[in-house]
Amino acid sequence: MVEQKWKLRDVVLMAVLGTVFAAVYLGVFYLGLGLQTALTPFGFAPFGFEIIYGVWFMAATIAAYIIRKPGAALITEVLAAVIELMMGNAGGVTLLLAGFIQGLGVELGFALFRYKRFNLFSMTVAGICAAVFIFIYELFYLQYYLLSPVLLTGQLMIRFLSAFIFAGLISKLTCDGLTKTGVLKSYSIGRGRVEIEVLQD
Amino acid sequence: MNALNPVCKLIGIFVPTLILAAVHHPILNISVFVICLLLLLMSRVRVKLLLLLFLPIILASIGMFFTGYHFQVESGAPVNADNWQMTGSAVWNGLTLSSRVLVYAGLGLLFALTTNKIDLIRSLQQQLHLPSIFAYGILAAWNIFPNLMEEYRKTRLAFRARGVYTSPVSPTLLKPMLVKAVLWSNALSIAMESKGFNGSVKRTEFYVIRVGWKDLLFPVVTIGGMVVFVF
Repeated sequence: MVEQKWKLRDVVLMAVLGTVFAAVYLGVFYLGLGLQTALTPFGFAPFGFEIIYGVWFMAATIAAYIIRKPGAALITEVLAAVIELMMGNAGGVTLLLAGFIQGLGVELGFALFRYKRFNLFSMTVAGICAAVFIFIYELFYLQYYLLSPVLLTGQLMIRFLSAFIFAGLISKLTCDGLTKTGVLKSYSIGRGRVEIEVLQD
Repeated sequence: MNALNPVCKLIGIFVPTLILAAVHHPILNISVFVICLLLLLMSRVRVKLLLLLFLPIILASIGMFFTGYHFQVESGAPVNADNWQMTGSAVWNGLTLSSRVLVYAGLGLLFALTTNKIDLIRSLQQQLHLPSIFAYGILAAWNIFPNLMEEYRKTRLAFRARGVYTSPVSPTLLKPMLVKAVLWSNALSIAMESKGFNGSVKRTEFYVIRVGWKDLLFPVVTIGGMVVFVF
Protein backbone atom coordinates (compact mmCIF):
# COMPACT_ATOMS: atom_id res chain seq x y z
CA MET A 1 0.00 0.00 0.00
CA VAL A 2 0.96 3.58 -0.54
CA GLU A 3 0.50 4.32 3.12
CA GLN A 4 3.02 1.70 4.12
CA LYS A 5 5.64 2.99 1.77
CA TRP A 6 5.46 6.68 2.45
CA LYS A 7 6.37 7.93 5.88
CA LEU A 8 4.43 10.89 7.17
CA ARG A 9 7.69 12.84 7.27
CA ASP A 10 8.22 12.39 3.55
CA VAL A 11 4.63 13.23 2.71
CA VAL A 12 4.64 16.42 4.78
CA LEU A 13 7.97 17.44 3.25
CA MET A 14 6.59 16.87 -0.22
CA ALA A 15 3.46 18.84 0.61
CA VAL A 16 5.47 21.71 2.11
CA LEU A 17 7.79 21.75 -0.91
CA GLY A 18 4.65 21.76 -3.02
CA THR A 19 3.40 24.78 -1.10
CA VAL A 20 6.69 26.67 -1.44
CA PHE A 21 6.77 26.00 -5.15
CA ALA A 22 3.10 26.78 -5.63
CA ALA A 23 3.97 30.23 -4.32
CA VAL A 24 7.09 30.39 -6.50
CA TYR A 25 5.05 29.36 -9.55
CA LEU A 26 2.55 32.10 -8.88
CA GLY A 27 5.32 34.71 -8.67
CA VAL A 28 7.02 33.36 -11.76
CA PHE A 29 3.69 33.23 -13.57
CA TYR A 30 3.39 37.00 -13.28
CA LEU A 31 7.02 37.40 -14.34
CA GLY A 32 6.26 35.27 -17.41
CA LEU A 33 3.14 37.29 -18.09
CA GLY A 34 5.23 40.45 -18.02
CA LEU A 35 7.73 38.97 -20.48
CA GLN A 36 4.89 37.72 -22.61
CA THR A 37 3.19 41.09 -22.75
CA ALA A 38 6.47 42.69 -23.77
CA LEU A 39 6.83 40.19 -26.62
CA THR A 40 3.18 40.25 -27.72
CA PRO A 41 3.36 42.84 -30.51
CA PHE A 42 5.96 40.71 -32.27
CA GLY A 43 3.91 37.54 -32.04
CA PHE A 44 6.56 36.01 -29.85
CA ALA A 45 4.26 35.86 -26.84
CA PRO A 46 4.78 32.15 -26.04
CA PHE A 47 8.51 32.73 -25.64
CA GLY A 48 7.89 34.79 -22.51
CA PHE A 49 7.03 31.59 -20.69
CA GLU A 50 9.55 29.39 -22.47
CA ILE A 51 12.47 31.30 -20.97
CA ILE A 52 11.38 30.45 -17.44
CA TYR A 53 9.62 27.16 -18.13
CA GLY A 54 12.23 25.16 -16.25
CA VAL A 55 11.05 26.70 -12.99
CA TRP A 56 7.94 24.52 -13.21
CA PHE A 57 10.03 21.36 -12.95
CA MET A 58 12.00 22.50 -9.92
CA ALA A 59 9.63 21.17 -7.26
CA ALA A 60 9.92 17.71 -8.76
CA THR A 61 13.69 17.64 -9.25
CA ILE A 62 14.38 19.10 -5.82
CA ALA A 63 12.00 16.68 -4.09
CA ALA A 64 13.49 13.72 -5.92
CA TYR A 65 16.98 14.90 -5.06
CA ILE A 66 16.18 15.20 -1.36
CA ILE A 67 13.92 12.21 -0.83
CA ARG A 68 15.41 9.88 -3.45
CA LYS A 69 12.49 7.51 -3.66
CA PRO A 70 10.64 6.49 -6.79
CA GLY A 71 7.48 8.57 -7.00
CA ALA A 72 8.69 11.52 -4.96
CA ALA A 73 8.97 13.77 -8.01
CA LEU A 74 5.56 12.86 -9.36
CA ILE A 75 3.77 13.22 -6.04
CA THR A 76 5.42 16.55 -5.22
CA GLU A 77 4.53 18.01 -8.58
CA VAL A 78 0.92 16.86 -8.22
CA LEU A 79 0.73 18.19 -4.66
CA ALA A 80 2.11 21.52 -5.86
CA ALA A 81 -0.66 21.53 -8.47
CA VAL A 82 -3.29 20.77 -5.81
CA ILE A 83 -1.99 23.65 -3.67
CA GLU A 84 -1.96 25.92 -6.72
CA LEU A 85 -5.55 24.94 -7.31
CA MET A 86 -6.36 25.79 -3.70
CA MET A 87 -4.64 29.15 -4.05
CA GLY A 88 -7.11 29.98 -6.80
CA ASN A 89 -4.80 29.87 -9.79
CA ALA A 90 -6.54 30.70 -13.04
CA GLY A 91 -5.06 27.59 -14.62
CA GLY A 92 -7.46 25.77 -12.35
CA VAL A 93 -8.41 22.19 -12.86
CA THR A 94 -6.13 21.51 -15.77
CA LEU A 95 -3.14 22.31 -13.58
CA LEU A 96 -3.61 18.91 -12.00
CA LEU A 97 -3.16 17.26 -15.35
CA ALA A 98 -0.18 19.44 -16.26
CA GLY A 99 1.40 18.77 -12.87
CA PHE A 100 0.89 15.05 -13.31
CA ILE A 101 2.48 15.06 -16.76
CA GLN A 102 5.48 17.14 -15.68
CA GLY A 103 5.97 14.96 -12.62
CA LEU A 104 5.82 11.90 -14.84
CA GLY A 105 8.50 13.37 -17.08
CA VAL A 106 10.85 14.08 -14.20
CA GLU A 107 10.15 10.66 -12.78
CA LEU A 108 11.10 9.07 -16.09
CA GLY A 109 14.34 11.07 -16.09
CA PHE A 110 15.41 9.65 -12.77
CA ALA A 111 14.10 6.18 -13.59
CA LEU A 112 16.48 6.10 -16.57
CA PHE A 113 19.26 6.07 -13.97
CA ARG A 114 17.34 3.54 -11.86
CA TYR A 115 17.11 6.08 -9.06
CA LYS A 116 20.80 5.57 -8.35
CA ARG A 117 22.31 8.70 -9.76
CA PHE A 118 21.26 12.03 -8.42
CA ASN A 119 23.56 14.64 -9.88
CA LEU A 120 23.51 17.55 -12.25
CA PHE A 121 23.36 15.27 -15.26
CA SER A 122 20.42 13.18 -14.10
CA MET A 123 18.56 16.28 -12.93
CA THR A 124 19.04 17.89 -16.32
CA VAL A 125 17.87 14.75 -18.09
CA ALA A 126 14.84 14.69 -15.80
CA GLY A 127 14.11 18.32 -16.59
CA ILE A 128 14.40 17.73 -20.31
CA CYS A 129 12.12 14.69 -20.11
CA ALA A 130 9.56 16.85 -18.32
CA ALA A 131 9.97 19.51 -21.00
CA VAL A 132 9.29 16.98 -23.75
CA PHE A 133 6.29 15.50 -21.92
CA ILE A 134 4.64 18.82 -21.24
CA PHE A 135 5.39 20.02 -24.75
CA ILE A 136 3.59 17.07 -26.30
CA TYR A 137 0.68 17.70 -23.97
CA GLU A 138 0.55 21.38 -24.89
CA LEU A 139 0.80 20.60 -28.56
CA PHE A 140 -2.64 19.04 -28.31
CA TYR A 141 -4.16 20.70 -25.33
CA LEU A 142 -3.33 24.27 -26.30
CA GLN A 143 -3.50 23.24 -29.95
CA TYR A 144 -0.01 24.51 -30.65
CA TYR A 145 -0.03 22.32 -33.74
CA LEU A 146 -1.84 25.24 -35.33
CA LEU A 147 1.42 27.17 -35.14
CA SER A 148 4.33 26.91 -37.52
CA PRO A 149 6.91 24.16 -36.89
CA VAL A 150 9.74 26.68 -36.95
CA LEU A 151 8.24 28.56 -34.03
CA LEU A 152 7.57 25.33 -32.16
CA THR A 153 11.14 24.07 -32.58
CA GLY A 154 12.45 27.38 -31.31
CA GLN A 155 10.13 27.14 -28.34
CA LEU A 156 11.28 23.62 -27.54
CA MET A 157 14.97 24.56 -27.74
CA ILE A 158 14.51 27.46 -25.35
CA ARG A 159 12.51 25.21 -23.06
CA PHE A 160 15.35 22.67 -22.97
CA LEU A 161 17.80 25.40 -22.06
CA SER A 162 15.47 26.65 -19.38
CA ALA A 163 15.05 23.10 -18.00
CA PHE A 164 18.83 22.80 -17.78
CA ILE A 165 19.24 26.12 -15.99
CA PHE A 166 16.38 25.87 -13.51
CA ALA A 167 15.62 22.20 -12.99
CA GLY A 168 19.28 21.22 -13.34
CA LEU A 169 21.73 23.90 -12.33
CA ILE A 170 19.81 26.05 -9.87
CA SER A 171 18.06 23.08 -8.23
CA LYS A 172 21.37 21.27 -7.77
CA LEU A 173 23.12 24.30 -6.30
CA THR A 174 20.20 25.00 -3.98
CA CYS A 175 20.09 21.41 -2.76
CA ASP A 176 23.84 21.33 -2.20
CA GLY A 177 23.57 24.49 -0.18
CA LEU A 178 20.70 22.96 1.73
CA THR A 179 22.71 19.83 2.52
CA LYS A 180 25.54 21.92 3.87
CA THR A 181 23.26 23.55 6.41
CA GLY A 182 22.59 20.14 7.91
CA VAL A 183 18.79 20.35 7.92
CA LEU A 184 18.57 17.33 5.67
CA LYS A 185 20.55 14.97 7.84
CA SER A 186 17.57 12.71 8.42
CA TYR A 187 16.93 12.33 4.67
CA SER A 188 18.82 10.15 2.22
CA ILE A 189 20.66 13.06 0.66
CA GLY A 190 22.24 14.10 3.96
CA ARG A 191 22.99 10.62 5.18
CA GLY A 192 26.21 10.22 3.26
CA ARG A 193 27.71 13.29 4.80
CA VAL A 194 29.66 12.94 8.00
CA GLU A 195 30.94 16.41 8.61
CA ILE A 196 28.39 19.14 9.03
CA GLU A 197 29.56 22.65 8.68
CA VAL A 198 28.74 25.13 11.38
CA LEU A 199 26.08 27.59 10.31
CA GLN A 200 27.33 31.10 10.15
CA ASP A 201 24.21 33.08 10.63
CA MET B 1 -22.17 26.71 -7.41
CA ASN B 2 -20.84 27.21 -3.91
CA ALA B 3 -22.89 24.41 -2.43
CA LEU B 4 -21.93 21.70 -4.91
CA ASN B 5 -19.83 18.77 -3.84
CA PRO B 6 -16.21 19.69 -4.68
CA VAL B 7 -15.31 16.42 -6.37
CA CYS B 8 -18.46 16.40 -8.51
CA LYS B 9 -17.72 19.99 -9.48
CA LEU B 10 -14.12 19.05 -10.28
CA ILE B 11 -15.24 16.28 -12.61
CA GLY B 12 -18.02 18.42 -14.09
CA ILE B 13 -15.46 21.06 -15.03
CA PHE B 14 -12.48 18.86 -15.83
CA VAL B 15 -14.10 16.61 -18.45
CA PRO B 16 -15.61 19.51 -20.48
CA THR B 17 -12.16 21.11 -20.46
CA LEU B 18 -10.73 17.98 -22.04
CA ILE B 19 -13.52 17.91 -24.62
CA LEU B 20 -12.82 21.55 -25.47
CA ALA B 21 -9.16 20.65 -25.97
CA ALA B 22 -10.13 18.24 -28.72
CA VAL B 23 -12.12 20.65 -30.89
CA HIS B 24 -11.42 23.91 -32.73
CA HIS B 25 -14.42 25.97 -32.01
CA PRO B 26 -13.90 29.62 -31.10
CA ILE B 27 -17.63 30.23 -30.80
CA LEU B 28 -18.13 27.31 -28.44
CA ASN B 29 -15.11 28.48 -26.45
CA ILE B 30 -16.46 31.99 -26.11
CA SER B 31 -19.97 30.85 -25.22
CA VAL B 32 -18.65 28.54 -22.50
CA PHE B 33 -16.54 31.43 -21.24
CA VAL B 34 -19.65 33.64 -21.04
CA ILE B 35 -21.55 30.92 -19.18
CA CYS B 36 -18.66 30.69 -16.72
CA LEU B 37 -18.78 34.44 -16.18
CA LEU B 38 -22.53 34.34 -15.58
CA LEU B 39 -22.20 31.45 -13.13
CA LEU B 40 -19.40 33.31 -11.33
CA LEU B 41 -21.59 36.40 -11.00
CA MET B 42 -24.51 34.29 -9.81
CA SER B 43 -22.25 32.75 -7.16
CA ARG B 44 -21.73 36.21 -5.67
CA VAL B 45 -18.07 36.53 -6.53
CA ARG B 46 -16.96 40.14 -6.16
CA VAL B 47 -16.86 41.91 -9.50
CA LYS B 48 -13.69 43.80 -8.61
CA LEU B 49 -11.84 40.58 -7.84
CA LEU B 50 -13.03 39.10 -11.11
CA LEU B 51 -11.78 42.05 -13.11
CA LEU B 52 -8.44 41.89 -11.36
CA LEU B 53 -8.07 38.17 -12.07
CA PHE B 54 -9.17 38.40 -15.67
CA LEU B 55 -6.83 41.26 -16.55
CA PRO B 56 -3.71 39.08 -16.98
CA ILE B 57 -5.77 36.43 -18.75
CA ILE B 58 -7.07 38.90 -21.29
CA LEU B 59 -3.48 40.03 -21.88
CA ALA B 60 -2.39 36.41 -22.37
CA SER B 61 -5.30 35.84 -24.69
CA ILE B 62 -4.37 38.85 -26.82
CA GLY B 63 -0.79 37.55 -26.88
CA MET B 64 -2.00 34.19 -28.17
CA PHE B 65 -4.16 35.89 -30.79
CA PHE B 66 -1.16 37.61 -32.34
CA THR B 67 0.93 34.45 -32.14
CA GLY B 68 -1.76 32.46 -33.89
CA TYR B 69 -2.20 35.26 -36.37
CA HIS B 70 1.47 35.61 -37.28
CA PHE B 71 2.59 32.01 -37.02
CA GLN B 72 0.12 29.87 -38.83
CA VAL B 73 1.02 26.30 -39.43
CA GLU B 74 0.72 26.74 -43.20
CA SER B 75 3.33 29.47 -43.39
CA GLY B 76 6.82 28.03 -43.47
CA ALA B 77 8.80 31.08 -42.45
CA PRO B 78 8.07 32.69 -39.08
CA VAL B 79 6.92 36.03 -40.45
CA ASN B 80 5.57 35.86 -43.92
CA ALA B 81 4.30 38.78 -45.99
CA ASP B 82 1.06 36.91 -46.75
CA ASN B 83 0.22 36.91 -43.07
CA TRP B 84 -0.15 40.63 -42.98
CA GLN B 85 -3.22 40.53 -45.18
CA MET B 86 -6.41 40.08 -43.25
CA THR B 87 -7.03 36.57 -44.45
CA GLY B 88 -9.93 34.89 -42.76
CA SER B 89 -7.89 31.87 -41.83
CA ALA B 90 -5.17 33.84 -40.01
CA VAL B 91 -7.75 35.66 -37.94
CA TRP B 92 -9.58 32.41 -37.32
CA ASN B 93 -6.35 30.74 -36.24
CA GLY B 94 -5.66 33.57 -33.84
CA LEU B 95 -9.22 33.48 -32.52
CA THR B 96 -9.10 29.73 -31.94
CA LEU B 97 -5.94 29.97 -29.90
CA SER B 98 -6.91 33.06 -27.95
CA SER B 99 -10.48 31.99 -27.13
CA ARG B 100 -8.98 28.82 -25.73
CA VAL B 101 -6.96 30.79 -23.17
CA LEU B 102 -10.16 32.57 -22.14
CA VAL B 103 -12.29 29.48 -21.78
CA TYR B 104 -9.72 27.53 -19.77
CA ALA B 105 -9.25 30.44 -17.43
CA GLY B 106 -13.00 30.88 -17.11
CA LEU B 107 -13.52 27.24 -16.19
CA GLY B 108 -10.51 27.28 -13.88
CA LEU B 109 -11.66 30.35 -12.00
CA LEU B 110 -15.21 29.07 -11.84
CA PHE B 111 -13.87 26.15 -9.86
CA ALA B 112 -11.29 28.03 -7.83
CA LEU B 113 -13.50 30.89 -6.71
CA THR B 114 -16.54 28.87 -5.73
CA THR B 115 -14.86 26.02 -3.86
CA ASN B 116 -13.95 25.85 -0.21
CA LYS B 117 -10.35 24.67 -0.11
CA ILE B 118 -10.60 22.55 3.00
CA ASP B 119 -13.80 20.94 1.76
CA LEU B 120 -12.05 20.09 -1.50
CA ILE B 121 -9.39 18.09 0.32
CA ARG B 122 -11.97 16.42 2.56
CA SER B 123 -14.04 15.58 -0.47
CA LEU B 124 -11.02 14.15 -2.29
CA GLN B 125 -10.34 12.02 0.75
CA GLN B 126 -13.92 10.86 1.26
CA GLN B 127 -15.22 10.54 -2.28
CA LEU B 128 -12.08 9.67 -4.22
CA HIS B 129 -10.36 7.80 -1.39
CA LEU B 130 -7.21 9.87 -1.34
CA PRO B 131 -5.07 8.20 1.37
CA SER B 132 -5.49 10.12 4.61
CA ILE B 133 -1.73 10.54 4.97
CA PHE B 134 -1.79 12.69 1.82
CA ALA B 135 -5.00 14.50 2.70
CA TYR B 136 -3.66 15.56 6.08
CA GLY B 137 -0.21 16.24 4.64
CA ILE B 138 -1.76 18.72 2.21
CA LEU B 139 -3.89 20.28 4.94
CA ALA B 140 -0.82 20.69 7.16
CA ALA B 141 1.17 22.29 4.36
CA TRP B 142 -1.75 24.48 3.36
CA ASN B 143 -2.10 25.81 6.88
CA ILE B 144 1.52 26.89 7.14
CA PHE B 145 1.19 28.87 3.94
CA PRO B 146 0.64 32.23 5.74
CA ASN B 147 3.79 31.60 7.79
CA LEU B 148 5.63 30.88 4.60
CA MET B 149 4.69 34.22 3.12
CA GLU B 150 5.75 35.94 6.33
CA GLU B 151 9.04 34.06 6.22
CA TYR B 152 9.53 35.10 2.61
CA ARG B 153 9.16 38.74 3.61
CA LYS B 154 11.61 38.29 6.48
CA THR B 155 14.16 36.53 4.27
CA ARG B 156 14.12 39.35 1.78
CA LEU B 157 14.53 41.88 4.58
CA ALA B 158 17.40 39.84 6.03
CA PHE B 159 19.18 39.98 2.70
CA ARG B 160 18.56 43.67 2.42
CA ALA B 161 19.96 44.21 5.92
CA ARG B 162 23.17 42.67 4.64
CA GLY B 163 23.16 44.95 1.64
CA VAL B 164 22.06 42.30 -0.84
CA TYR B 165 19.22 43.33 -3.09
CA THR B 166 17.07 40.44 -4.21
CA SER B 167 14.37 40.65 -6.84
CA PRO B 168 10.99 39.20 -5.78
CA VAL B 169 11.63 35.91 -7.58
CA SER B 170 15.38 35.65 -7.09
CA PRO B 171 16.88 32.13 -6.80
CA THR B 172 19.00 33.43 -3.91
CA LEU B 173 15.86 33.44 -1.78
CA LEU B 174 15.17 29.81 -2.50
CA LYS B 175 17.76 28.22 -0.24
CA PRO B 176 16.81 30.01 2.99
CA MET B 177 13.15 29.36 2.21
CA LEU B 178 13.80 25.67 1.64
CA VAL B 179 15.75 25.43 4.91
CA LYS B 180 12.67 26.75 6.71
CA ALA B 181 10.42 24.46 4.70
CA VAL B 182 12.42 21.36 5.63
CA LEU B 183 12.65 22.31 9.30
CA TRP B 184 8.94 23.03 9.49
CA SER B 185 7.90 19.89 7.70
CA ASN B 186 10.04 17.86 10.09
CA ALA B 187 8.50 19.59 13.10
CA LEU B 188 5.02 19.25 11.64
CA SER B 189 5.27 15.55 10.99
CA ILE B 190 6.68 14.93 14.47
CA ALA B 191 3.86 17.00 15.95
CA MET B 192 1.24 15.12 13.95
CA GLU B 193 2.61 11.76 14.96
CA SER B 194 2.90 12.76 18.59
CA LYS B 195 -0.78 13.71 18.54
CA GLY B 196 -1.59 10.22 17.42
CA PHE B 197 -1.88 10.63 13.67
CA ASN B 198 -1.52 7.35 11.90
CA GLY B 199 -2.13 7.15 8.20
CA SER B 200 -2.56 3.40 8.04
CA VAL B 201 -5.64 2.96 10.22
CA LYS B 202 -9.18 3.69 9.18
CA ARG B 203 -10.51 6.86 10.72
CA THR B 204 -13.91 8.33 11.27
CA GLU B 205 -14.79 11.73 9.86
CA PHE B 206 -16.09 14.63 11.86
CA TYR B 207 -16.93 16.64 8.76
CA VAL B 208 -18.78 14.43 6.35
CA ILE B 209 -18.97 15.67 2.77
CA ARG B 210 -22.13 14.34 1.17
CA VAL B 211 -23.09 13.71 -2.42
CA GLY B 212 -26.69 14.59 -3.25
CA TRP B 213 -28.65 14.29 -6.49
CA LYS B 214 -27.81 17.88 -7.41
CA ASP B 215 -24.12 17.11 -7.11
CA LEU B 216 -24.46 14.17 -9.45
CA LEU B 217 -26.59 16.18 -11.85
CA PHE B 218 -23.92 18.87 -12.38
CA PRO B 219 -21.30 16.73 -14.17
CA VAL B 220 -24.04 14.96 -16.13
CA VAL B 221 -25.41 18.30 -17.38
CA THR B 222 -22.03 19.85 -18.20
CA ILE B 223 -20.55 16.80 -19.89
CA GLY B 224 -23.83 15.96 -21.62
CA GLY B 225 -24.25 19.53 -22.86
CA MET B 226 -20.74 19.53 -24.24
CA VAL B 227 -21.16 16.18 -25.99
CA VAL B 228 -24.47 17.27 -27.55
CA PHE B 229 -22.95 20.51 -28.79
CA VAL B 230 -19.85 18.94 -30.27
CA PHE B 231 -21.28 15.86 -31.96
